Amino acid sequence: MSTLTPPTVTREAPASRVAGGPSPKRLRLLMRTRPWLLLTPALLILAVLLLWPLIRVVLFSLQDYGLREIVSGDTNFNGGANYLEVFSDPTLWTVVLPNTVFFAAAAVIGTVVLGTLVALLMASLGGFWRTIVGSAIMVAWAMPAVTGTYVWVWIFDADRGIVNQTLMGLGLMDEPFNWFTNQFTFYGIALLNVIHHGFPFVAITVLAGLLGVSKEMLEAAEMDGAGPFRRFFQIIFPSLRQVFSVVIILSTIWDFKVFAQIYLMPGGSGSNREVLNLGVWSYVESFGQNRYGFGSAIAVLLTLVLLGITIVYIRALMKEDEL
Amino acid sequence: MRKRTLPLAVLATAALGLTACAGGGSGSGDVDASGQTLTVWIMQGTNPDSEAFFDEVGSAFKKETGATLKVEYVQWADAHDRFVTSIAGNTTPDVAETGTTWTAEFADAGALAPIGDYVEKAGLSDDLVEGLVGSGTYDGELYGMPWYAGVRSIVYRTDVFEELGLKAPTTWQEIVDAGTAIKAAKPDMIPFPVPGDAEFTAYPWVWGAGGEVSELDGKTWKSGLASDESRAGIQFWTDLATKYDLSSSGATTWKETDVLDNFVQDKVAMAIMGSWTPATIVEKNPELEGKFAAIPIPGEDGGISPSVLGGSHLSMFNTSKNKDLAFQFIEMMTTGKYAAEWAEQTGYFPGQTSLLADSTESDDPLVKPFAEQFVDGGASLPVTPKFGAVQAKKTTNAMIQAILSGAKSVDEATTDAAKEMDDIMNGK
Repeated sequence: MSTLTPPTVTREAPASRVAGGPSPKRLRLLMRTRPWLLLTPALLILAVLLLWPLIRVVLFSLQDYGLREIVSGDTNFNGGANYLEVFSDPTLWTVVLPNTVFFAAAAVIGTVVLGTLVALLMASLGGFWRTIVGSAIMVAWAMPAVTGTYVWVWIFDADRGIVNQTLMGLGLMDEPFNWFTNQFTFYGIALLNVIHHGFPFVAITVLAGLLGVSKEMLEAAEMDGAGPFRRFFQIIFPSLRQVFSVVIILSTIWDFKVFAQIYLMPGGSGSNREVLNLGVWSYVESFGQNRYGFGSAIAVLLTLVLLGITIVYIRALMKEDEL
Repeated sequence: MRKRTLPLAVLATAALGLTACAGGGSGSGDVDASGQTLTVWIMQGTNPDSEAFFDEVGSAFKKETGATLKVEYVQWADAHDRFVTSIAGNTTPDVAETGTTWTAEFADAGALAPIGDYVEKAGLSDDLVEGLVGSGTYDGELYGMPWYAGVRSIVYRTDVFEELGLKAPTTWQEIVDAGTAIKAAKPDMIPFPVPGDAEFTAYPWVWGAGGEVSELDGKTWKSGLASDESRAGIQFWTDLATKYDLSSSGATTWKETDVLDNFVQDKVAMAIMGSWTPATIVEKNPELEGKFAAIPIPGEDGGISPSVLGGSHLSMFNTSKNKDLAFQFIEMMTTGKYAAEWAEQTGYFPGQTSLLADSTESDDPLVKPFAEQFVDGGASLPVTPKFGAVQAKKTTNAMIQAILSGAKSVDEATTDAAKEMDDIMNGK
């Protein structure tokens, strides 16, 4: 940063002007530093808004930081005890991580596949029906996560939910079944909820990409006898690589951090230990018990994991472009 | 840039000047605080008509002290987070309603101001409900002024009981008998729901069987949930669902609000509910008026099974600029006319012993049994901030839910819960 200090430029500029306009060297320096100078205010704001909180979180994660420390403002460093506790907690390895990872994987695959299919459908529709379908899925997207969760909870309600009523009416079930007590049915419902809420974003983004795929190329491929599958995987998918990478990375981050949709389901807020995921577990263990240091340690680890996943994705998806 | 920061700086100095003014000029006893403002947080959801109530209190307060009362309503569900953020940002109110389990926690953090001296000066020390003083005391100092409290008992449908010729149960066996009779005659009703996400409905059976939740033994807390007595109580409570089938499969994941909703919808015959719920039941479903009554939770062979005294304190925060004024408000709210009025409107019991007498002498079938439970069968959970952590982790709820869903036996679930409780309460 010190090489970019403006005084150097302003002080020496008049001197060179005396010699008949700026020399090419000075001009190049000015050209190179100008973007940084122009970016400085934005970077400063980013540093204040993002970097400082990030540093604070890391600092908290190294302390036993509770309500008492908040009031007094004192620090209370305890080395890496929080991190040690995170890694030595058996619940993390046996329940929390498997739930989180498998759920995120299933949700990302489900969201992206369904979203892409809907985008393909919309791309082949005329303007009128595209608007109709587009508005319909926008409703699912616009619905707040809390509202959506309650709708699914009511649908699967044990005593009066439509699913149990139907199954019992059809004679497929004798006793009402509580879908929320079993780990797999619980996450099945959560999956429906998250996919239903997440696929419109994928559909709209992919549709935007699809409309940019060259029509000539598709027509030519069709003339040459390529079926719909071949056209999708050999023409559409490669030209939408960037779009898919963005969509997959964002979905992964969202589905990894899913909290409200789980917390609000019956038993999801900690009373059913089998369904804890990373979001709920960290909330219950840290904020519920005023252990902000421990919560920060989990947040730092989660950030690192998501960063890692993102880097792997980007490398895998962009490799061919680099070559 | 400079143009924008200047007005801000002016504002900041102006605000400093204002607070400096507000800080001065307080006397003892009757406070003259003209021009000052007292900020108060009140929890929302206790009194359906609290705004009208506080409008009245506000004008009386202004007449008496000259100060303006500024009441901010906070939802119970968001309240804990709001307190923590305001403590962190040093923007706490002067006075706030704090749930009885939070008072010790905030006092431990150093956010509350002790009020013992004020209470003594006002001559109130001997006129406060004991259970509430206990939960408002931390480390020998009083931080929470008893305001109001409630207790859970059994609420049952008198019309259903009359129709089937049943008597209100007085022992545990009679609960099973009545429930079984209702189940046979009214298959659409849940005779006695056992909610799996409502810890306060589970403790009466632990205590009723002679068990303990957690006791201080020297310097370590020892959970009694895995004792033979506690296990017997928990066994009976969960048997209502798993053995006698008097609950529903949905209730395995119910919270107390779900119990209330289903009672309101005419689906429940008996349930453990709070003394504050009858007003809500009638408000939401007027058809049920006069069709239900309460009884204290029976002991195993008669008597009363103790139930948690829950309620609210009024606490003064350390950030309060004029503590005399703050206590004047606290005293006005928790004693005399306004305390009685609040209790009447909310269905809670006042925290002042002399006022409580009116409730205990009442003949109302929706007040008397609760008052009996309050006086003779009121119990308190361990008073330590650590128990708040146990509640946050839902140790007891997880135990009951695991038994109800069949994931664990009573022995396994109680052993696990007792261990978890000990780990948390003894700081790991």
